[in-house]
Amino acid sequence: MRMRKPAQLGVIATLAAAALALSACGGSGGADGGDGKGKTLSVLVNVNGQYPEQQKQWQSDIAAKFKAQTGADLKFETFTSANDELTRIQTSVVSGQGPDVYSLGTTFTPTAYATKAFVTLSDDDWKKVGGKDRFNPAALGISGPDKDHLAGIPFVSRPFVMAYNKDLLSAAGIEKPATSWDELAAQAKKMTKGDVYGLATGYKDNFDPWKFIWAMSVQDGNPLIDGSTAKLDDPTVKKAYDTYFGWLTKDKIVNPASVGWSNANAVASFAAGKAGYLLMTTATSIPTLEKSSVANKFAYALMPTTAPGETAPKGDGANAASILSGDNLVVADYSKQKDLAFSYIKLITSKDEQLNYQKIFGDLPANAEALKSLTNPVLKPMAEAAAKSKATPFTGAWGDTQLALLNVTVQSIPDLSRGSVDESALDQRIKDAQAKSQASLDRASKG
Amino acid sequence: MSTDASNEVRVAAVAAATRATRAAGAETPAGGGQPAPAGRRRLLTERNRPLWMLIPGGVLMIVIIVLPLLLGIYMSVLNLDQYTLRKWISAPFIGVDNFVEALTASPLLHAVWLSVSYSLIAMLVTLPLGIAAAVATQNAFRGRAVVRSIFLIPYVLPSFVVATVWRIMFQPEGVVDKALGTIGIHAGLWLNGPQTFWTLILVQIWASWPFIYLLALSGLQAVDHEVHEASALDGALWWNKLRFVIFPYLKGPLSLAFLIGMLHHINNFTLPFVLFGIPAPSDVEVLPILTYVTSFQSFRFGLSAAMAFISLILIAIPLFIYLRAVKLDDAETPGGKK
Repeated sequence: MRMRKPAQLGVIATLAAAALALSACGGSGGADGGDGKGKTLSVLVNVNGQYPEQQKQWQSDIAAKFKAQTGADLKFETFTSANDELTRIQTSVVSGQGPDVYSLGTTFTPTAYATKAFVTLSDDDWKKVGGKDRFNPAALGISGPDKDHLAGIPFVSRPFVMAYNKDLLSAAGIEKPATSWDELAAQAKKMTKGDVYGLATGYKDNFDPWKFIWAMSVQDGNPLIDGSTAKLDDPTVKKAYDTYFGWLTKDKIVNPASVGWSNANAVASFAAGKAGYLLMTTATSIPTLEKSSVANKFAYALMPTTAPGETAPKGDGANAASILSGDNLVVADYSKQKDLAFSYIKLITSKDEQLNYQKIFGDLPANAEALKSLTNPVLKPMAEAAAKSKATPFTGAWGDTQLALLNVTVQSIPDLSRGSVDESALDQRIKDAQAKSQASLDRASKG
Repeated sequence: MSTDASNEVRVAAVAAATRATRAAGAETPAGGGQPAPAGRRRLLTERNRPLWMLIPGGVLMIVIIVLPLLLGIYMSVLNLDQYTLRKWISAPFIGVDNFVEALTASPLLHAVWLSVSYSLIAMLVTLPLGIAAAVATQNAFRGRAVVRSIFLIPYVLPSFVVATVWRIMFQPEGVVDKALGTIGIHAGLWLNGPQTFWTLILVQIWASWPFIYLLALSGLQAVDHEVHEASALDGALWWNKLRFVIFPYLKGPLSLAFLIGMLHHINNFTLPFVLFGIPAPSDVEVLPILTYVTSFQSFRFGLSAAMAFISLILIAIPLFIYLRAVKLDDAETPGGKK
């Protein structure tokens, strides 16, 4: 029995898929055609841990509207983690059956696209979902490899911004939040006193570190991946790591304990009034902060767009305030009711539904009109960030690249906690990351 | 290791019980009422064994174990990744390339080394702990039931819970750091860097010593009363009695425990995964983690299957010894003599 687990690790998805395929060949989807009466559209979405009750309510409301419009039923299936989602997609991809519509995180869209298991929308298809121009143009940036091959239909935006403590900033005589990384460090230094630090960020977070490196590199004119070449060995990347690690080792403007923090710890520290800036956060931090001791003292701002050591953003840098973040909808290639799927997407990306969704869950609309109509001042910087979001490189190799960038931080944490990152060790780690990313790109170009 | 290990405990307990029965059987030669275990001596019925009753179990074995195994081996010779997954049956055949890559261009050998060394160290520490605990609770005393129950707590907690709790305790400036700080020790990082290897071992020991304890206990209970009496009559003091009389009885169950424990540790995914996250610090990138990352982060299903297959072979070595051990045990002359 012992042998089961290792074999399982690699194989379980495939087996499950095979079993599914065997047992359910004649399963869902038989009929097709005109109106949706008697049909059921199946949609896979992630569980909203923050608002579970509201999510259920929203789902049943939408199902009722969908039924009124098309006559078809709507069935929601949920996943709880990225892993869950991945397994689900793998199973469906292999077996050729499963949900009709998937909701995907933006950075996962290229990987999903690479499987060729999802519909690349034709002009006709776009019409069916209400036209390409109903969406915030920036949000379409990670829907496909180029503007004629788009598979992901933007649903919501969750751009990254920073929060700042108004009281701490004004106490330090700072009038406006920083717009360059150098300025940010300088301001943070002024605010660092006793147990209050200028910046709050988590070095052990599973996502944040690579986003910083990406942002600083892109703002410095390095897109990290250029066609089929990885550019992680570019000096801009090294500079980005130096800056990011330097906050802790040289500037000493972050809590030393943050080597063990995830983003949630950083939020908690900011919420306790112990930090001037909370970096790399989204609208989802609003409810937490509104209930905290900084309730009336916080505001959001765009993160800096000027690379370390520079005076103005390079190239497209000004538009790289955040990675393009949020959810895309994709329609499964195997779906036998694609028209129904498009009608569903048309419904939930309409202006009214998008505004309603924003009101309940806080995620920003991907619908351009809806985004423009937001008036809440708290949301202003986020709406701006949504328009100034830049897509991470659209390649199936991005997952590996992202992981490699993150790995540099993970392996550097012991150095960080000792107070200095060894130059040559960092070089070696970046070199490894470059090699991994390039190897993955080579596979992508073959694939 | 908790849930899976319960099977092993049962197996070992049955083995121990069988031995005890045999011991009894030696005195009262197999009578009519003797139950099945004495099969070897009842050759006549062996011929008419109702083998068909194995069919349900056999089918399950084939579906759950044999088929995935074969699929896994097949996958390991394919260039199967996110680009070819959709039509995976027709993914390009690349022969041993995956194996070559796994062995030469991936951290597999490093992972094997980590897995084996961590398992071995954890095992070597848990063995004496488990035996000591079993010996200490062998004789009845007030509150023994409570102590025995407490001993089992780490064992009944799911791995996920154990790892989560320890991860929280090991946070920088967490409970562990604060406690050590009060006595002037600043241990550094537990969840990152070279020390992670020892963190993993420590938590593994905490979680798995009761398994050894259980098996040692079952071994102790198989010791006949007469043995205790005889050694008392011979005037053996406690250490001599333990060393020369009792320990030989434990050799069987404990070598099983050793092998099973090793296999568990080598296979343990939950503990490092929950403790350290992905990507894991390179000092704890053990086999299951590496296989997982290759499969589900890099989507190299073929390569990962090759890694899984290599680790399967690795695990098959102790497994083979284990099976041999069980077989030898069964073929032994009655009497539990060691």
